[in-house]
Amino acid sequence: MTAPRTRKAAIIGGNRIPFARSNSAYAQASNQDMLTSTLDGLVARFGLQGQQVGEVVAGAVLKHSRDFNLTRESVLGSRLSAATPAYDVQQACGTGLEAVVLVANKIALGQVDSGIAGGVDTTSDAPLAVNDDLRRVLVQVNAAKTLQQRLKALSGIRPGQLVPDIPRNAEPRTGLAMGEHAAITAAVWEIGREEQDELTVRSHHNLAAAYDRGFFDDLLTPYLGLTRDQNLRPDSSMEKLARLSPVFGRGEGATMTAGNSTPLTDGASVVLLGSDEWAAAHDLPVLAHLVDAQTAAVDYVHGGEGLLMAPAYALPVLLARNGLTLQDFDLYEIHEAFASTVLSTLKAWEDPAFCKEKLGLDGPLGPIDRSKLNVAGSSLAAGHPFAATGGRIVASLAKLLHQQGPGRRGLISICAAGGQGVVAILES
Amino acid sequence: MARQELDGPPSMAQLFARAALTARGRGGDLPDTRIARTGVTVEAARLAEYVRVCRFALGDTLPVTYPHVLAFPLQVALMSDRAFPLALPGLVHVRNRVEQLRPVGTAEPLDLEVWADTFATHRSGATVDLVASVRAGGAEVWRSRSTYLARGATAPQDAPTAEVDVHVPPLDTAAAQWRVPDDAGRRYAAVSGDVNPIHLSGLTAKAFGFKRAIAHGMWVKARALAALSGRLPDAVAVDVGFKKPLFLPSTVTLSTASHGAGWDLAVRNAASGADHLLGTVRPV
Repeated sequence: MTAPRTRKAAIIGGNRIPFARSNSAYAQASNQDMLTSTLDGLVARFGLQGQQVGEVVAGAVLKHSRDFNLTRESVLGSRLSAATPAYDVQQACGTGLEAVVLVANKIALGQVDSGIAGGVDTTSDAPLAVNDDLRRVLVQVNAAKTLQQRLKALSGIRPGQLVPDIPRNAEPRTGLAMGEHAAITAAVWEIGREEQDELTVRSHHNLAAAYDRGFFDDLLTPYLGLTRDQNLRPDSSMEKLARLSPVFGRGEGATMTAGNSTPLTDGASVVLLGSDEWAAAHDLPVLAHLVDAQTAAVDYVHGGEGLLMAPAYALPVLLARNGLTLQDFDLYEIHEAFASTVLSTLKAWEDPAFCKEKLGLDGPLGPIDRSKLNVAGSSLAAGHPFAATGGRIVASLAKLLHQQGPGRRGLISICAAGGQGVVAILES
Repeated sequence: MARQELDGPPSMAQLFARAALTARGRGGDLPDTRIARTGVTVEAARLAEYVRVCRFALGDTLPVTYPHVLAFPLQVALMSDRAFPLALPGLVHVRNRVEQLRPVGTAEPLDLEVWADTFATHRSGATVDLVASVRAGGAEVWRSRSTYLARGATAPQDAPTAEVDVHVPPLDTAAAQWRVPDDAGRRYAAVSGDVNPIHLSGLTAKAFGFKRAIAHGMWVKARALAALSGRLPDAVAVDVGFKKPLFLPSTVTLSTASHGAGWDLAVRNAASGADHLLGTVRPV
């Protein structure tokens, strides 16, 4: 038996809706509304109406229990053929990129010829759960067989149980908000306020410039009155950011503000992938190929590593497998969960001790050319609807590489809750 | 022809009350009046509520049935006026045809105009058609024709015979089953403004001769179309006949069959199999 031949999956294009700040323009929209609209935008852009693609893979981080089949339900409500299979994935903020990797792998193996990957999240139409004590009582009431048993079970209800469980952006095992975790890491790596604010200003200016030159014209479909990301501040400046008070971390050393941290956001994104043959047969462009990807996880609970540092560990594995160095890239997309996360990751890769002791390398991975980093803006400016960020980055980077010409290489790094990270290589 | 332009939507509760108080002693031919509103914009929050109650997806174009919600108050204003020959309480919506000539954006200012025509003879009374036309950007984008039956009423001499039946081939397979809760009428009343008492509660429905509250026909129609989201032509005509009243609460089935680029539809009682709605969806 011979090993199956593999092929690299082509990234054909993408679509997203502008990202909205929480409880604002998309307050009335559900995850299914946003994902369906985003799929329909992609269908319209690439002439897929009534057509079947191999698979649609997407997910949401904050998800109602009724949305167990969110992606399939969205496909059924979209203009894609109802015969298109779909499934949901969830890997916190890595969801969107992981979905792209999954679709690309099936294309690589020849199991599908085309697919759509993406993600959606709403922090406005968020699921509220029944208080867990009340839930137990109600489960008992439901299981009771006699009226007497039912009444006995109901007598367990207490007034305090009527307060619902509200989802928090916090780690279940540490009880700390993600920003608090990031503040610990920022302190460990001695990331200053000024460099965080500089990265933030650059993100806003790069995103605004990208909009102004029409970069997003074929990557984005307006939705519910928004034509640009609502969080974008084209006039962002060091002076304005300096006026903000820290919100994460404590005391003198606190550096993380609402400006250099991503806000809660609503939005959706999808990416169209296919084999080169499928793209050619449908007269569609190939912007780039997904070369390879790697995930990693760290023990942020007991192991002394930062919650959002897993991409630092995933990268050297990916580089070694592909015979590349950190400097062999034309563009870098490092997801800006917090400005300090990007800076901590870059500093770790430059640090000889970290690279030797933690990554097991002979020397540091070294610095990158900062002018190649997040050149069309990233999450600090656009916002970060958790599962939608991966699709936003993949489609944008594929287009940026395509614009530079063939043979250009880009690196994506996305950190995720639970101490996980996904990194990937695209090549035009 | 008289044309009356309103500055805002009339109060539906007041109109229904006025219609009830002035129900007696009506007669004569249809008034030659048109009621209009111009530059109407869709309220995003209201649309979102409507979308939720009817199970559409929230997007940047209006559900095919939504302009009816905008035009209906004007039609009620026309029907509650003393010049209208039939008494509004007791009128039964028996047929509705909407034509969307192109998808209508949620942000487009709309000009509405409604009038009545086609006073017709029906085997159990008389029918009248309430017509609506919606224009955007200088062209008609949507129109509808709602046929109402007044039991026991008499149409003028030489009136044509009413055409209230929409013919669909037999649809035997149920695509979906809906449990329609007893507050379905109140929920649709809240998002559509159609506060006709026959939909609101058992008690108010009894006052008008129904044994229980009945679902709004336009809600049943909207929900059936929502089930076909993503599968409707952009320019489309949806013609439905409302058959037996859908008493609340009920469990009903939706049957669909594709017909060229369109569909045939039936909504039936899950227990008795009685038809509530029969309709066709066709490209125009």
